[in-house]
Amino acid sequence: MAVGRRDGGARPDVLRRVGEASVLILISLAGGAKHGYALIQDIKELADVELGPGTLYGALDRLERLGLIESLPAEDRRHPYRITVPGAAALRVHLDAVERVSAAGRLRLQLGGI
Amino acid sequence: MDESRTARLISAVLRCYPVRWRRRHGDEAAELAALLIRDGTPAGSIAWSYLAGAVREWLTPRPGRRLSTVACALLAATCLLGVSAGLLASAGPARAAGTSQARPRAHCRPGSPEPGPAVGRSPVIIGVAGHGRSC
Repeated sequence: MAVGRRDGGARPDVLRRVGEASVLILISLAGGAKHGYALIQDIKELADVELGPGTLYGALDRLERLGLIESLPAEDRRHPYRITVPGAAALRVHLDAVERVSAAGRLRLQLGGI
Repeated sequence: MDESRTARLISAVLRCYPVRWRRRHGDEAAELAALLIRDGTPAGSIAWSYLAGAVREWLTPRPGRRLSTVACALLAATCLLGVSAGLLASAGPARAAGTSQARPRAHCRPGSPEPGPAVGRSPVIIGVAGHGRSC
Protein backbone atom coordinates (compact mmCIF):
# COMPACT_ATOMS: atom_id res chain seq x y z
CA MET A 1 0.00 0.00 0.00
CA ALA A 2 1.77 3.14 -1.19
CA VAL A 3 0.26 5.43 1.40
CA GLY A 4 2.91 8.11 1.16
CA ARG A 5 2.65 8.40 -2.61
CA ARG A 6 -1.04 9.03 -3.05
CA ASP A 7 -0.33 12.70 -3.68
CA GLY A 8 1.23 11.95 -7.04
CA GLY A 9 4.63 10.82 -5.78
CA ALA A 10 6.00 14.36 -5.49
CA ARG A 11 6.60 14.16 -1.73
CA PRO A 12 7.54 10.68 -0.56
CA ASP A 13 6.91 9.81 3.08
CA VAL A 14 10.49 9.63 4.39
CA LEU A 15 9.26 8.88 7.91
CA ARG A 16 7.56 5.66 6.81
CA ARG A 17 10.55 3.54 7.75
CA VAL A 18 12.21 5.47 10.58
CA GLY A 19 10.20 3.95 13.40
CA GLU A 20 7.65 5.16 15.91
CA ALA A 21 10.21 6.75 18.26
CA SER A 22 11.51 9.08 15.55
CA VAL A 23 8.00 10.17 14.57
CA LEU A 24 7.10 10.83 18.22
CA ILE A 25 10.29 12.87 18.66
CA LEU A 26 9.44 14.98 15.61
CA ILE A 27 5.90 15.53 16.88
CA SER A 28 7.28 16.60 20.25
CA LEU A 29 9.83 18.94 18.66
CA ALA A 30 7.10 20.46 16.47
CA GLY A 31 5.92 22.11 19.70
CA GLY A 32 9.33 23.71 20.34
CA ALA A 33 13.00 22.89 20.96
CA LYS A 34 13.68 20.36 23.75
CA HIS A 35 16.56 18.37 25.26
CA GLY A 36 16.53 14.64 25.95
CA TYR A 37 14.84 14.60 29.34
CA ALA A 38 12.12 17.06 28.23
CA LEU A 39 11.52 14.95 25.13
CA ILE A 40 11.04 11.77 27.17
CA GLN A 41 8.62 13.55 29.53
CA ASP A 42 6.67 15.16 26.69
CA ILE A 43 6.34 11.92 24.71
CA LYS A 44 5.15 10.11 27.84
CA GLU A 45 2.47 12.75 28.31
CA LEU A 46 1.61 13.03 24.61
CA ALA A 47 1.44 9.38 23.57
CA ASP A 48 1.74 7.39 26.82
CA VAL A 49 4.98 5.91 25.47
CA GLU A 50 8.05 5.58 27.68
CA LEU A 51 11.00 6.10 25.40
CA GLY A 52 14.19 4.43 26.63
CA PRO A 53 17.24 6.72 26.68
CA GLY A 54 19.16 4.41 24.32
CA THR A 55 16.29 4.50 21.83
CA LEU A 56 16.06 8.28 22.20
CA TYR A 57 19.69 8.99 21.31
CA GLY A 58 19.61 6.49 18.42
CA ALA A 59 16.53 8.20 16.97
CA LEU A 60 17.97 11.70 17.54
CA ASP A 61 21.17 10.76 15.68
CA ARG A 62 19.19 9.24 12.81
CA LEU A 63 16.91 12.28 12.48
CA GLU A 64 19.89 14.62 12.60
CA ARG A 65 21.67 12.63 9.88
CA LEU A 66 18.52 12.90 7.74
CA GLY A 67 18.52 16.66 8.29
CA LEU A 68 15.08 16.56 9.91
CA ILE A 69 16.27 18.01 13.25
CA GLU A 70 19.28 20.07 14.33
CA SER A 71 21.21 20.33 17.56
CA LEU A 72 21.34 23.75 19.24
CA PRO A 73 24.28 24.99 21.33
CA ALA A 74 24.54 23.09 24.64
CA GLU A 75 22.96 24.48 27.82
CA ASP A 76 25.08 23.12 30.69
CA ARG A 77 25.56 19.57 29.52
CA ARG A 78 22.27 19.29 27.65
CA HIS A 79 21.87 19.64 23.89
CA PRO A 80 18.47 20.99 22.90
CA TYR A 81 17.16 19.85 19.52
CA ARG A 82 14.98 21.72 17.07
CA ILE A 83 12.91 20.50 14.12
CA THR A 84 14.15 21.81 10.76
CA VAL A 85 12.03 23.07 7.86
CA PRO A 86 12.48 19.77 5.92
CA GLY A 87 11.66 17.93 9.19
CA ALA A 88 8.39 19.81 9.55
CA ALA A 89 7.52 19.12 5.90
CA ALA A 90 8.31 15.41 6.31
CA LEU A 91 6.20 15.22 9.46
CA ARG A 92 3.29 16.90 7.67
CA VAL A 93 3.48 14.39 4.78
CA HIS A 94 3.66 11.47 7.23
CA LEU A 95 0.75 12.67 9.35
CA ASP A 96 -1.36 13.19 6.21
CA ALA A 97 -0.59 9.62 5.15
CA VAL A 98 -1.44 8.24 8.60
CA GLU A 99 -4.67 10.26 8.58
CA ARG A 100 -5.68 8.81 5.19
CA VAL A 101 -5.09 5.25 6.37
CA SER A 102 -6.91 5.96 9.61
CA ALA A 103 -9.92 7.36 7.74
CA ALA A 104 -9.98 4.37 5.38
CA GLY A 105 -9.82 2.01 8.35
CA ARG A 106 -12.70 3.73 10.12
CA LEU A 107 -14.77 3.69 6.94
CA ARG A 108 -14.19 -0.03 6.47
CA LEU A 109 -15.11 -0.75 10.07
CA GLN A 110 -18.29 1.26 9.56
CA LEU A 111 -19.17 -0.46 6.28
CA GLY A 112 -18.41 -3.87 7.76
CA GLY A 113 -20.73 -3.14 10.67
CA ILE A 114 -18.07 -4.25 13.15
CA MET B 1 20.72 -0.72 44.28
CA ASP B 2 22.61 2.15 45.98
CA GLU B 3 23.53 5.36 44.21
CA SER B 4 27.23 4.66 43.65
CA ARG B 5 26.56 1.20 42.24
CA THR B 6 23.90 2.62 39.93
CA ALA B 7 26.27 5.33 38.72
CA ARG B 8 28.98 2.71 38.13
CA LEU B 9 26.54 0.52 36.17
CA ILE B 10 25.40 3.39 33.95
CA SER B 11 28.95 4.58 33.38
CA ALA B 12 30.03 1.02 32.48
CA VAL B 13 27.21 0.69 29.97
CA LEU B 14 27.96 4.11 28.46
CA ARG B 15 31.55 2.96 27.92
CA CYS B 16 30.15 0.38 25.47
CA TYR B 17 29.34 3.18 23.00
CA PRO B 18 31.83 4.30 20.35
CA VAL B 19 34.15 7.16 21.42
CA ARG B 20 32.56 9.54 18.91
CA TRP B 21 29.12 8.96 20.48
CA ARG B 22 30.50 9.35 24.03
CA ARG B 23 32.17 12.64 23.16
CA ARG B 24 28.89 13.97 21.84
CA HIS B 25 26.28 12.47 24.17
CA GLY B 26 28.22 10.89 27.08
CA ASP B 27 27.79 13.58 29.74
CA GLU B 28 24.21 14.31 28.78
CA ALA B 29 23.34 10.60 28.73
CA ALA B 30 24.74 10.14 32.26
CA GLU B 31 22.77 13.14 33.48
CA LEU B 32 19.61 11.91 31.76
CA ALA B 33 20.01 8.52 33.44
CA ALA B 34 20.35 10.21 36.84
CA LEU B 35 17.19 12.25 36.22
CA LEU B 36 15.22 9.20 35.10
CA ILE B 37 16.38 7.20 38.14
CA ARG B 38 15.35 10.11 40.36
CA ASP B 39 11.88 9.93 38.73
CA GLY B 40 11.61 6.25 39.65
CA THR B 41 12.71 4.49 36.44
CA PRO B 42 14.58 1.28 37.39
CA ALA B 43 18.33 1.58 36.80
CA GLY B 44 18.34 -1.86 35.19
CA SER B 45 15.91 -0.84 32.46
CA ILE B 46 17.92 2.33 31.76
CA ALA B 47 21.13 0.29 31.55
CA TRP B 48 19.45 -2.22 29.25
CA SER B 49 18.17 0.55 26.98
CA TYR B 50 21.66 2.07 26.74
CA LEU B 51 23.19 -1.35 26.11
CA ALA B 52 20.78 -2.07 23.25
CA GLY B 53 21.48 1.43 21.93
CA ALA B 54 25.24 0.75 22.04
CA VAL B 55 24.82 -2.46 20.04
CA ARG B 56 22.71 -0.62 17.45
CA GLU B 57 25.26 2.20 17.36
CA TRP B 58 28.13 -0.20 16.60
CA LEU B 59 26.14 -2.07 13.97
CA THR B 60 24.91 1.04 12.17
CA PRO B 61 27.13 1.42 9.11
CA ARG B 62 28.89 4.79 9.01
CA PRO B 63 31.53 6.11 6.64
CA GLY B 64 34.97 5.55 8.05
CA ARG B 65 33.88 3.02 10.68
CA ARG B 66 35.92 -0.07 10.07
CA LEU B 67 34.66 -2.01 13.09
CA SER B 68 31.06 -1.99 11.87
CA THR B 69 32.27 -3.39 8.58
CA VAL B 70 34.10 -6.10 10.48
CA ALA B 71 31.03 -6.79 12.63
CA CYS B 72 28.79 -7.00 9.56
CA ALA B 73 31.26 -9.27 7.82
CA LEU B 74 31.45 -11.51 10.91
CA LEU B 75 27.67 -11.61 11.13
CA ALA B 76 27.37 -12.49 7.44
CA ALA B 77 30.07 -15.17 7.78
CA THR B 78 28.33 -16.68 10.79
CA CYS B 79 25.01 -16.74 8.94
CA LEU B 80 26.61 -18.32 5.87
CA LEU B 81 28.37 -20.91 8.02
CA GLY B 82 25.12 -21.70 9.79
CA VAL B 83 23.21 -22.07 6.53
CA SER B 84 25.97 -24.26 5.05
CA ALA B 85 26.08 -26.46 8.14
CA GLY B 86 22.30 -26.76 8.07
CA LEU B 87 22.32 -27.72 4.39
CA LEU B 88 25.07 -30.28 4.94
CA ALA B 89 23.28 -31.74 7.93
CA SER B 90 20.04 -32.11 5.95
CA ALA B 91 21.77 -33.37 2.80
CA GLY B 92 23.85 -36.02 4.63
CA PRO B 93 21.05 -38.42 5.64
CA ALA B 94 19.28 -37.94 2.29
CA ARG B 95 22.45 -38.87 0.39
CA ALA B 96 22.98 -41.87 2.64
CA ALA B 97 19.37 -42.98 2.08
CA GLY B 98 19.75 -42.52 -1.67
CA THR B 99 22.80 -44.81 -1.75
CA SER B 100 21.18 -47.57 0.27
CA GLN B 101 18.01 -47.46 -1.88
CA ALA B 102 19.84 -47.43 -5.22
CA ARG B 103 19.96 -51.20 -5.72
CA PRO B 104 16.35 -52.12 -4.92
CA ARG B 105 15.16 -49.60 -7.51
CA ALA B 106 16.06 -51.98 -10.34
CA HIS B 107 12.37 -52.77 -10.69
CA CYS B 108 11.82 -49.35 -12.15
CA ARG B 109 13.63 -50.26 -15.35
CA PRO B 110 11.32 -50.80 -18.35
CA GLY B 111 10.26 -54.39 -18.61
CA SER B 112 11.28 -55.38 -15.13
CA PRO B 113 8.63 -57.30 -13.25
CA GLU B 114 6.69 -55.66 -10.45
CA PRO B 115 8.26 -56.81 -7.22
CA GLY B 116 6.32 -58.38 -4.40
CA PRO B 117 5.58 -56.74 -1.12
CA ALA B 118 8.60 -54.86 0.18
CA VAL B 119 9.19 -56.65 3.40
CA GLY B 120 11.58 -54.82 5.69
CA ARG B 121 12.09 -52.02 3.19
CA SER B 122 11.09 -48.52 4.03
CA PRO B 123 9.23 -46.57 1.31
CA VAL B 124 11.12 -43.87 -0.55
CA ILE B 125 8.97 -40.83 -1.23
CA ILE B 126 10.65 -38.07 -3.22
CA GLY B 127 8.62 -35.33 -4.77
CA VAL B 128 5.39 -37.31 -5.09
CA ALA B 129 2.54 -36.62 -2.79
CA GLY B 130 0.07 -39.29 -1.85
CA HIS B 131 2.06 -42.29 -3.20
CA GLY B 132 4.02 -44.76 -1.20
CA ARG B 133 6.49 -45.46 -3.96
CA SER B 134 8.06 -43.38 -6.66
CA CYS B 135 10.75 -43.69 -9.27
